[in-house]
Parts: sequence; structure tokens; C-alpha cells
Amino acid sequence: MTTTTVPDKAGSLAWARRRDSLARFWRSYRTHRAGLYGLAGLAVIALIALTAPLTVGEDVQSVTSAPGTALESPSGQFPLGTDQFGRSLLGLLIWGARISLAVGLLAAALSVAIGTLVGILAGHYGGWLSTALMRITDWFLVMPTLVLAIVLATVMSHSLWTVILAIGVTSWPTTARLVRAQTIAVESRPYIERARALGGGHGHIMSRHVLPNVMPLVLAQTTLGISNAILTEATLAFLGLGDPTVVSWGGMLQDAREAGAVSSGHWWYLAPPGIAIALVALSFTLCGRAVEAVLNPKLGAR
Amino acid sequence: MARTVPSRKTLRPTGPRRPLAIGAAALALTASAALPAQGAAADDAKGGEKVLTVAVSQSVDSLSPFLAQRLISTSVHRLMYEYLTNYDAKDGHAIPGLATAWKTSPDKLTWTYTIRKDSKWSDGQQVTAGDAAWTFNKMMTDRGAATANGSYVANFRKVSAPDPATLVVELKQPQATMTALDVPIVPQHVWEKVGDFTKFNNDKQFPVVGNGPFVLTDYKVDQYIKLKPNKSFWRGAPKFDELVFKYYKDNDAAVAALRKGEVSFVSNLTPAQASSLSSTPDIKVNDAPGRRFFALATNPGAQSKDGQKFGNGNPAVLDPAVRRALFAAVDRKTLVDKVFQGHAVEGEGYIPPRFADYFWKPAPDQKIAYDPAKAASLLDEAGYKTGADGKRLGKDGKPLGLRLLCHAIDPNDKAVSKYLQEWWGKLGIGLTVDCVDNVTDPWTAGEYDLALDGYSVSPDPDYVLSIHTCAALPATPKATGQTDNFVCDKQFDELYAKQLAEYDTAKRADLIKQMESRLYDTGYINVMAYPNAVEAYRTDQIASITTMPEAAGNIYGQDGYWSWWSAVPAAGSSAKSGSGSSAVVVLGIVAGVIVLAGIGSFLVLRRRAGADDRE
Amino acid sequence: MTTASSADTPAVVAEARTEPRGRRFAAAGPVLTYLRYVGGKLAGAVVSLFAVLVTSFFLFRIIPGDPVRTMTHGRQVSVEQLAALRGQFGLDLPMWQQFTDYCGKALTGDLGTSYQFHAPVGSLIAEKLPATLLLTGTAVVIYSALGIWLGTRSAWRRGGLGDRFNTGLALTLWSVPSFWLGLLLIIAFSVGAGPVPGLFPTGGMESGDTTGFGHVLDVAHHMVLPVLTLVAVQYAQTLLVMRSSLIDEMGGDYLTTARAKGLRDDAVRRHHAVPNALLPTVTMLFINLGHVAAGSILVETVFSWPGLGGLFYQALSVPDLPLVQGLFVVFAGAMILMNLLADLLYPLLDPRVGR
Repeated sequence: MTTTTVPDKAGSLAWARRRDSLARFWRSYRTHRAGLYGLAGLAVIALIALTAPLTVGEDVQSVTSAPGTALESPSGQFPLGTDQFGRSLLGLLIWGARISLAVGLLAAALSVAIGTLVGILAGHYGGWLSTALMRITDWFLVMPTLVLAIVLATVMSHSLWTVILAIGVTSWPTTARLVRAQTIAVESRPYIERARALGGGHGHIMSRHVLPNVMPLVLAQTTLGISNAILTEATLAFLGLGDPTVVSWGGMLQDAREAGAVSSGHWWYLAPPGIAIALVALSFTLCGRAVEAVLNPKLGAR
Repeated sequence: MARTVPSRKTLRPTGPRRPLAIGAAALALTASAALPAQGAAADDAKGGEKVLTVAVSQSVDSLSPFLAQRLISTSVHRLMYEYLTNYDAKDGHAIPGLATAWKTSPDKLTWTYTIRKDSKWSDGQQVTAGDAAWTFNKMMTDRGAATANGSYVANFRKVSAPDPATLVVELKQPQATMTALDVPIVPQHVWEKVGDFTKFNNDKQFPVVGNGPFVLTDYKVDQYIKLKPNKSFWRGAPKFDELVFKYYKDNDAAVAALRKGEVSFVSNLTPAQASSLSSTPDIKVNDAPGRRFFALATNPGAQSKDGQKFGNGNPAVLDPAVRRALFAAVDRKTLVDKVFQGHAVEGEGYIPPRFADYFWKPAPDQKIAYDPAKAASLLDEAGYKTGADGKRLGKDGKPLGLRLLCHAIDPNDKAVSKYLQEWWGKLGIGLTVDCVDNVTDPWTAGEYDLALDGYSVSPDPDYVLSIHTCAALPATPKATGQTDNFVCDKQFDELYAKQLAEYDTAKRADLIKQMESRLYDTGYINVMAYPNAVEAYRTDQIASITTMPEAAGNIYGQDGYWSWWSAVPAAGSSAKSGSGSSAVVVLGIVAGVIVLAGIGSFLVLRRRAGADDRE
Repeated sequence: MTTASSADTPAVVAEARTEPRGRRFAAAGPVLTYLRYVGGKLAGAVVSLFAVLVTSFFLFRIIPGDPVRTMTHGRQVSVEQLAALRGQFGLDLPMWQQFTDYCGKALTGDLGTSYQFHAPVGSLIAEKLPATLLLTGTAVVIYSALGIWLGTRSAWRRGGLGDRFNTGLALTLWSVPSFWLGLLLIIAFSVGAGPVPGLFPTGGMESGDTTGFGHVLDVAHHMVLPVLTLVAVQYAQTLLVMRSSLIDEMGGDYLTTARAKGLRDDAVRRHHAVPNALLPTVTMLFINLGHVAAGSILVETVFSWPGLGGLFYQALSVPDLPLVQGLFVVFAGAMILMNLLADLLYPLLDPRVGR
């Protein structure tokens, strides 16, 4: 009996502590007005993306059952006009949010996961492993990211996974550096000594002590990384390296350009996807900066 | 990049040919780099010279006629050098070029050309049969010189010039295409000094010696190609004072330049651009029947000449019923209406209707019409039943899924893929669209089920037919071949041999139509559409210009030099004055604004600083 | 700084944050220490360059496919002829030998011959490099100056309306896809809308019909829109770095001291805080210069600028392996060089380091 209650108690204690610090975090975050705007923007966009199946439905992508004629200008039926297949641009914009957000989130998650893993390993073990990992990191840092991503996307088949991979694999080094530094800082704290003395193995220390402590930093990095990833996704799609059978914002811009929207003056085809990309990227950036400012008030990002 | 293809290189990506595609790509894609934007149009700044400026996007691969394979380069060569024969602007039949007449021996193996006496190289030397013989012999003996046009001389036994006005070509086999040798004849006295033909690009010394209607006077990579008229050209000098091909890697930029009068001519318009330009004053949109076909190719089981099979084509498409069903589910009319927005003609036979002599269409009972219900029943009968989830099952009991290879740089490929995916999805067949930049690799390896294919057809269709013969297959799986799609069909081959040896035009045309019919029945190449050539030019700069065919034809990428040679400047075309002056004005304004802003903020800062001091 | 430059945080800056550099220089004499430091950085750069050579070599060889077959596609070529071609391009040698050949030649500046242009890769790159340097170099200078100026103002009046407007605008522009902004600028200022004439050329670098001073003006005229695009999208980065490092500086004790000595705010700012805060910004300037080669692929594409970005794209679609490889080496080499310069200058510029 007692044996089970003890961990329970410890668990709930830790939980309470976490809830506390979360509340503290929120109180501090709340004071950053720009961060709140960003959060609100994200909430709206997430809502739009999640409810897209209800509001516009998957059919909006279909070319064979497109309701309009090619390149109609905005009207009551099609508030943003139609694309060259006669599909509603508003519908595509809403549907495209799902792809753009998904790619941005997954790519940023991949990038941060790699960066965190490399950073913790390098910070925790030190020695030659750290040197080797940091050399690799430095080397990725000097690689022109976009060039590398373009190369990767070109040599692999054009699919969403390729894009996610290309972004994730090329953008992790900054995270790795920051996490390594944080890991070193955390490991110099006395309680890690204590944990070690109590017989905590490498795995235990890294996963139970270091990881939770670098998590806030990782969170900030992810948030900032997403806006980068969304922009890169749009860039790759615009260069024709995206998946042509899937509707994304960058892909819409590419379609618009291929249709000759620029010289035909069809600004309503060109403007909305760009604005959408900018809004999402801005929202994530604002949130990320606010999170960063909360964690490190000295940065003065306020 | 290497391709030795007689067929003109196309504007749009064609078939498996990556290289072409690239050119095209460059267009469609705007990949990159180049160019000058402002051009003076008809009336140049420097004193009333009439300049014809053509917007282009494809990079020159080489200005050496022995290496050049892209449309832009071969088009420029047409202007620089006279070929043995030319194609009539009206209907494309062979007419005199450098050769004024030709005849064949009774055994069909010897061709004798009479070389014209009134053609001079631009450095003053007389053009002789010796130049032509030297050009062909160089290609036959130096592999480097055979890079671009080697296939034209592959069947030559011997080429000689017994006297300056006579060229004799002896063949190994009869060859009906001897009046369609698209080989620029170069001056021997200039070119014999060239050492390594694989490295010489002919772009260092200007003007370049030639005998065509224009002389190449300047070239800057991805910026411009400039030509001046050859005043002593035997057919008559061109009317414009200068012809400039100006680079706009972005098609939208080229269209904008046309609107502003910076250029006189733009090609390769999208439907949206065409419709917005057609309502613009002083601009004429030329929507001409195209010379290309746009087809759905099916992998017939890739094989090499020695009979080895390779690649991984889905066995289902080896079943004629499946090929039939797939094509029956393709609504060609919708593709023309939606993807090409009317700027195309529904596909029938292999050769586009523009080449009336060779155009063939299937008889009503032969035609695979659009009929999705029929397609479904064809599949049912052939044993591809629908599973519980609506997906069709293959012979192996697994859901039937096919792959479609498409050019990532081609908007039409991508658009058509979307439709195919949905139409075949309704049949219960899954389609994975594989759009890649380099289609050549999977294509030559036979690693595809279906592919979007396209070629530009020349007035003489021999080449586009030859790529479907067994002889075009690669020798072994590791070698490369001329084959388009690994088609190897005995009946087709027999007809091909017959037409090549048939010197009677009408009889040959009939044989070619039989070949098209056979090809249609195999279902390996299903033509979906013939895309139009959509171009536009400024009528206040170009008064008239010859299209090819003359009645309704294209301007850019013709088989002759008709368009630019015949173009007449518009009377009193003032167009835009040079960019120099407008640049000064605009920059002046910009600089003024910047200076004012600078002064303003300086003053504000000073005042603030003062305020700070007071605090 | 993380915000704008998360992908490009200079190594030195990240390092400086975590390891107080001063300590390292404390032991030996400053000059000797610096030389040792230089040696280390040089060695690192050489290793990086070598790694780039290795990558560019192998990255483009794991691509499935056979360049020779791609080159000869559409021609009847026998296995023997293909073998001869492979010999010509050195593709028949064992991988390690190809690699040593490649490295040896690369060191002498020979990057091979382009498959599609039949010309040496080195000269192709040299031909396009000036255009790219001109465009992006101009943009870097302008947006760095703009960023430093606005960043200083923002930091000085932190939290004020001007600061919020400044950072807000910068962040918004930074979130905009550069190619999209470029296209909009083309619609607005090149194509011309309605009665508004197109003020600027739609693309390219020169009209080709001007000489002398007129030519300079002509090129400048062509540069306005692409430079504007680059500046608009990029200046946020400099602004934010400048702003946050200046805010950091302003917390410093010596500023309070300076003020206590009776120096005016303005003088304190100009003579003490700003020079110190410039350090990370200058570092970033170098990193940005490193990006110059590769950084403008999009803008070059949109504005048809005849530079390396366009060449790269063209090379990729063939794929023209020697050209892609060569460009990759040049792009990465520029980054390495500029990183090295930043690393070397940092201790010299930072008054707190190594004195």
C-alpha cells in the first residue's frame, strides 16, 4: 500500500510544481502584448485549419468537380475568385492552411528533435563525442541552408515528406548549439551531482533532469523554427519543389505564377496566400519571442 | 544534354528528353537567371534604328552548330547559316536553300545537290560545295563534332564535292529525309582551325562568319544575342536594322516588358496572359496550331535490343484492355478546355493536324472515345474486379496502383496529373503522381508505369516515328537508345522501313498514316492534345510578320527563318525611347526622395538630441 | 537575436554567450594567445572546407542515376561509347580516385566542365559572380546600416511607441516571403497599374544599350526593386540584434558611471553603448556577407537577375553535376570564409576580450 502511495505523492508533488511553474510562466507571458497577439492569431488559424473539413471539405481540392470557370475575379460566390481550374481560392486558402501548418510543425519538430538530441548528447558526454558532434554542427551551420534544402528536395521525389525532411535536416544546428550550452549549465548544478551520487545513470540524468530543464528553451526554438519552416516550405513550393498534387500556400503562389497571374494583374490570386504565410509566420515569431523573453528577461524582447 | 535530334527542339518540355525540357523549363520555370530588362523596341535610342527585340528565356547551350541542341541555339543558327534546304512557309515542303536543286540515283543511294553561286560568307569568301562536304565529313569523322547532329549523317557512306557547285552524298541505305537535313553548313576556312570541337562554343569572336539572313554580332550569356542583317543575303536582306534576343527568365517579366514596349515579341504565353493581352491596344495575340503532341505513354515492358527486360513497369499496363480502359477514362475535351483553356486541339493521331499531309485520325470504330462506364466494364471483363472498398484489385489480388511520371517544371504536366488522378480514382485505380526534375533517370531505366510525353514534330516526321522502332532500343540495358518509350512492334517497324525508302511523297504519307494507326492501336502512346503556340507581338513595332504555316502558324521556333527575315517595321514606330533617359528620371526622383528623407530625419534627430541635452 | 537569425546565428555569437571568452585569453600574452586562436580557427576553416568538398562530391553521387546516360539520352549510344564517355569525364575510375582527382583539381581552381554549357565551371561562375555580389552586396550594406540605425533608436527608446512600431514593422516584413514581396513590387512598380506607368524595369540587370555613366545609372535603375525586396525582408535581423545587444549594454555599470560623470545621454549613447553593442551586429554582417552568394536565389529568380542563384537553379534541373558541385563549393566556401573573418575579428574588436 504505502509503496504505491509514495511515488503517487512524489508524482503529484512534481505535478503541482510543474503546474505552478506553468502558471508563473503564463502570468509572465501575459505581460507581453505582442505574444498575446501572436497567440490569438495562432488560435484563429488553428481553428480555421482544424475545421476546414467542415467548412470547405476535401472536395475543394478536386479539379474535376470545380464549381467555377478559370481565373474568375472575386465575386459573391467566390470571395477571392478562382484559380485556373475554377476552384474557389478562398476554399483552397483555408484547405492549404492544413498543409502549410502541418509541414511547418512537423519540419520544426524534426529539426528541434535532432538539435535537442545532438545538443544533449554533446553537452552531457563532453570529450571526443562532443567535439565530433559540434564539428558536424558547425559544418551544417556553414552550409547554405536553402541551397542544401533545394538540393535535397530536387534529388528526392516531390512529396510533402521530402519537403519536411529537407527542412528538418538542414535547420537543426542552432538548436543543437543552444541546447548543448544549456545542458552544460544544467549539469553544473548541485542536484545533478546529487543524482549522480545516488547512482543515476547517463540515461536517467539526460531524460529526467537535463531534458525537462532544456524543454523551455526547446519550446522557444520550436516556435521560432515553425515560422522559418513555413517560409522555407513556401519557398520550396514556389521553386516548384513541392508536391504538385497537394494544395499548400507556397504551392498556390507557384500556381499563380505559372498561370501568369503577375503580368495579367490578377493580384487577388497572388496576394492572399502571401498574406496568410506572413500572418502565420509572424504569429509564431511573436509567440516565440514572448516565450524567449519570459525565459530570459535580459533579452528585452518586450 | 546531349541529344542529337533532328526534330526541332521544343519550347515546352518534351517527352523524356530532359535536355529539351530544360530549355523549356527555363521558360516555364523561370528558373533563373537572366536578364536584361529594358530593351528598346522598334525605335532605338540611337537615332532611328529599327530594332526588333524578342523576349527569350532559354539559355544558349552552345553557339557552335556542332554542339547546339536547344531551340534557342538552333533558331539562331538558322539565322546565321544557310542549310542545304529550307521548308516552305506555306505548307512546309522542302524548298531550295543553299542547294538550288537535288536529284537521286536510280538505286536511291546517291544524292546530288547543286550548290547556289550567289551566296557569300560574311567575310567575302564564296560559299562552295566544299564547305558543305567539309561540314558533313567533319561530323562523320570527329565524334565531338557529331554531338548535335550526328544522327543526320549516321547513314552516310561518303560525302564529296567534285566541283564547287556540286555536292554528292552516298548513302548506306535509302533515306527519304535527304531534303530535311537540318544541318548548318559552316565555312571551312574558319572552322578547320578549330581544335577540340567538344570545347569550342563559337562565342568569342564577333561578328561570326556566316551566310544566313543575319550575322551574329554580339552575345552575352543570359543577357542578349544580337544580330545584324546580312545585306547581301541572296533571298533579300531583312527589313529591321537589328535583331535582339533579350533574356527574361521570368515569363511574367517578359509580358510586362511587352506591355511597356521594351520588347516587340513574346512567346509561350499562358492562357491568362493571352486573354489579358488580347484586350490591350497595339498588341496582337497569335494563337497558332502547335507542332507538339501531348501524350500519355505507357511502359510496354522496357527492353533492350538483345531482348533483356529491365525496369519495373506494372504488369497491369501490359494488358491491352487496361491501356484501353485507362485512356477511355481520360476526357480529352475537358483537358483542352480546362488545362489549356482552349489553346489546344483535342488529340487524335500521333502527328498534329498542322502537318496536314501526315495527319491521321482514328475511324469511329477504332477510336477510344471518352466513356468512363465502358472503361469500368473493360476492366471488369479483363478480370480487375472492384474490392469492397471500391478499389480495383490487380491480378495478384492487391489493390491496383499505378505511377505516373511527370515533369516537375511543366505546369501542364502537373495540371493533367491532377485530372488523371481523379478520373482514374473514380475507376478504382490509385495513381501516384511522381513529378521530378530529372525524368530521364527513371525513364531510361524503365522505372515507371505511365508517363506524360510530348514531342515537337518537324515537317518531316521521320524522327518522331523512328523513336518507336525496335532499332531505337538501347543495345543492352546499360546502354542508351533513341527510343522514346521502349516501343518495339514488328508491324510498325516494317512500315517504318518502307516509308524511309519511299521517295514518292504521297505514297510515303500513306505509309506514315498506317504507322500512326498501328501506334494508336497498341495503346503505348495515347495523344491527349495538341497544344497551341500562343505568342504576342506589338503591332506598333512590327507591321507584318510571316507565320508558318502562313495561313495560321507560329512565329517563334519556326522551321525556317521566315518570321524574323520577313518582319517589317511599323511605319513611324516610335515605341519607347531608350531606357537610359527614363532611368535617369526615375533614379533622380528616387535619389531626391532619399536625400529629402535623409535631411528630414537628420533635422529631427538633431532636435531630439537637443531635447536630450536639455533634460 | 535568436528571432531573426535563428538559422544563421554566428558561431562566435552563440559561443560568446556560453563561454566567457576573456578567460581563455587571460593566461598567456595577448598576442600569442591571439595567434594560437587564429591558428585554431584557420585549422577549423580548412577542415570545414574539406568537409564541404567531401559533401559536394558524395552528395551528388548518391543521387540515383548515371550522368553519362542522362547526357546521352535520346541518342543511340553503345555500351562501349558510354564507357569512353565515362573515361572522358573520369567517371570510370574508382570512387576514391575520382575523389582525389576532384579535390586536387578543386584546389587548383579547376571545378570541371559543365555538361550543359561545354565550358569550364570556374569561368561560368566567375562570369555570374559580379552580378550577384553587386546585388546582394549593395543590399547587405543598406540593410545593415538601416538595421543598426533603427535598432539603436529602438533600444534607446525601448518600449515606446516608436520602438513598438519599428520592431512590429520589421518583424512583419521579416515574416513575408521575399519572392512574394518581389512579385507584388513588380506588379505595383514595373507592370504599372491602371494610369500608373511602370517606373522600374521588370527584371534583368541592364538594358544593353547604354555606356559609361548612363550604364551605371541603368544598372542602378534595374537594382532598385530587387535591392528594396532584400532590404525589406532582411533588415529586421540586424535591427533586432542591434536592439537587444544595445539594451544589454545599457544595463552595464560603466554607462551609469559615464552618466554620473555628467556626460549627456546622447554622448553616452554614441561613444560608449553603441560601439560595444555593434560587436554582435558586425559579426552578423560578416555572416550575411557569407550568405551573399547563396542568399539571393529567390530574388534573382523573381527579378531575372543574371547571377549565381539562377545558374544554380539551371544546373540543378539538368542535373549538371560539375556545375552544381562547383556552385555548392562556392556558396559554402563563402560562408566559411566570412565565418572565419568574423571569428578572427571578434577578439580584436571586443575591448573586453584579450586585453
